[in-house]
Amino acid sequence: MASSSSSGLTFKLHPLVIVNISDHYTRVKSQLSLPPSLTSTSSAATSNNNNNNSNGGENNQNPPPRVYGCVIGVQRGRTVEIFNSFELIYDPSTRSLDRSFLEKKQELYKKVFPHFYVLGWYSTGSDAHESDMHFHKALMDINESPLYVLLNPAINPAQKDLPVTIYESELHVIDGVPQLIFVRSSYTIETVEAERISVDHVAHLKPSGGSAATQLAAQLTGIHSAIKMLNSRIGVLHQYLVGMQKGDIPCESSLLRQVSSLLRRLPAIESEKFQDDFLMEYNDTLLITYLAMFTNCSSTMNELVDKFNTTYDRHSRRGGRTAFI
Amino acid sequence: MNSVEGLVNQIQGLSTTASDVLSLQNLLKQADDSLHAESTRLLPFLDQLDPSKHSLGYLYFLEACTAGPVTKEQAGSYVLMIARFITSCIAEQIRLAPDKFITVCKRFKDQVLLLEEPLRGVAPMLTAIRKLQSSSEHLTALHPEFLLLCLLSRCYKAGLSILEEDVFEVDQPRDLFLFCYYGGMISIGKKWFRKALELLHNVVTAPMSTVNAIAVEAFKKYILVSLIHHGQSPTNLPKYASSVAQRNLKNLCQPYIELANSYSNGKIADIETYVEANKDKFESDNNLGLVKQAVSSMYKRNIQRLTQTYLTLSLQDIANRVQLNSPKEAEMHVLQMIKDGEIYATINQKDGMVRFLEDPEQYKTCEMIEHIDSSIQRLMTLSKKLNGLDELMSCDPLYLLKAGRERQRFDFDDFDNVPQRFNI
Repeated sequence: MASSSSSGLTFKLHPLVIVNISDHYTRVKSQLSLPPSLTSTSSAATSNNNNNNSNGGENNQNPPPRVYGCVIGVQRGRTVEIFNSFELIYDPSTRSLDRSFLEKKQELYKKVFPHFYVLGWYSTGSDAHESDMHFHKALMDINESPLYVLLNPAINPAQKDLPVTIYESELHVIDGVPQLIFVRSSYTIETVEAERISVDHVAHLKPSGGSAATQLAAQLTGIHSAIKMLNSRIGVLHQYLVGMQKGDIPCESSLLRQVSSLLRRLPAIESEKFQDDFLMEYNDTLLITYLAMFTNCSSTMNELVDKFNTTYDRHSRRGGRTAFI
Repeated sequence: MNSVEGLVNQIQGLSTTASDVLSLQNLLKQADDSLHAESTRLLPFLDQLDPSKHSLGYLYFLEACTAGPVTKEQAGSYVLMIARFITSCIAEQIRLAPDKFITVCKRFKDQVLLLEEPLRGVAPMLTAIRKLQSSSEHLTALHPEFLLLCLLSRCYKAGLSILEEDVFEVDQPRDLFLFCYYGGMISIGKKWFRKALELLHNVVTAPMSTVNAIAVEAFKKYILVSLIHHGQSPTNLPKYASSVAQRNLKNLCQPYIELANSYSNGKIADIETYVEANKDKFESDNNLGLVKQAVSSMYKRNIQRLTQTYLTLSLQDIANRVQLNSPKEAEMHVLQMIKDGEIYATINQKDGMVRFLEDPEQYKTCEMIEHIDSSIQRLMTLSKKLNGLDELMSCDPLYLLKAGRERQRFDFDDFDNVPQRFNI
């Protein structure tokens, strides 16, 4: 079913869409794993409810629930840019799509983003299914050639690229019968500044439940290695310049000009107020470090004193025998 | 006589390389008794030896020479000789025989005191300490002697360099007690009350199996200095003080505790009557001067308390509240305190108003950065040392024995009818 697309369209996918899809999936999945008494309000794809144990311990039912939704964006010429997505209610067993809901959502989005059109739909799973074609065809009355964005929720640590694939539909002749089949297309990720920040934030939350300490340590290690590299590079330059000054290395004016322009880039701001604020903040950080060191030392000292007292105090403060409670 | 001459020749011959010196040391140890036997006739031989080259041999001879009782005339010449020896000797050689060196220096101190010229002993003693110490963190037996000489000669500044160093290694506990006690007294003399408090605190909280007199005296001074510096008496000794100290020190310093109690009430008249009543007790401890300083510090304490309540106050009001006699006196006190940096205020002389200010330190300067940075570095080295000590302690078999024994008692099966010990 998946061969490379020949439509010649370039696809640009925004990270917001990926985050939305994964969020939708995670929500539905975690809601389903609650005990049956609490899932009375859970949404689509509830056929797996009766698999839940009474103590609600089972989290992973097979198969994992599939979520469905719409993707919206802009098409300019041959470039299709997918900006956003929203959820839909779709029951694959009855193949009923809630049309009124879809239209209401479309209207709402039109009010806020007048340029966005429904470009296609999304779902989760490992591969495209035959049954997906029905949904695809159902959307064809809104968009004559919808896209199918598929997210594979299985976490594969060995995998390097994103588990997201975009399919287009093409009319192929198979066994003499013209059929619509899904063909894979390539895409690129496009980000707006705001998206970059939030994705960065999400990326730094380690899946092992990174506590604040490891986050801070990871951030600081990053900065530390960056500064170390900067330092070594400057050291190299410095050695080069010293060699040039001594005459070991022939003088090269273009390099010298580059170095001088580099040096002129900093300091960026030079004013009284900046100095004041900068020094104050520097002092604050140092004071906090000092406080941290102090606490560290005090706790070691405390332990040492306790140990010393237990060892060498002949008349220890344990006192005599106390009454039995 | 022959053996002595032979010894002299050997010393002259074997004082060049390190291995020779070691063999020389063995020889000298064996010959020690014979040297002591001939102690009265050793003086001329000393001239044959050069202290800057034959330090070890010279040391042995010197020690044997000065072993007997010394008259005042002899003391003068001995003092010169020992001083010259100390300045010119080689540190590595004398470190091979530290006890002899310490004995010689102690005798030096005695002779200097005999001549009643402690000032002559200060500089040589300092050189002696520097040569004997294996590192600047090492406390030798000579440290308290040196501080004693500084005290007696009132040459306090010389003791400063020794007091500034951090001490991590101590030879004998008595050295530490005396060192901190004398150091505390020197600091009081120079009015460095914070340093004095620190040193006296060390004496009082040092591990001791029985109460010793040094700790009792130090505790008395500790109470007084803490009144002067902090304005409150030390209520309880911290938990790292030995239990012996915690139980007994307070009972032995009763008048001082009562003085501290009346201090905290804040009435100058009461405290003055109390001091008058117990004058002889304070005087017998040589603490009367300190007690008077404590009383006068009460005014300072009261003025400081005023800064917390008022923003501006007239000099007349200050005089009334602090129970001073006139606004002029109040002005003098406030001026002195501003100069010492104890309060931040401005005096408006036209209408006699004092305005109390906040600490002007903005923590914005590069000097403050350097200051904090150096403190952090110091703290890091200290932390490493502490961690090392902690590990050593955890591996100490005595500790493991006691810790293991304690854990057994928490067995819940034991809970039945037997009264339990609880570690509160």
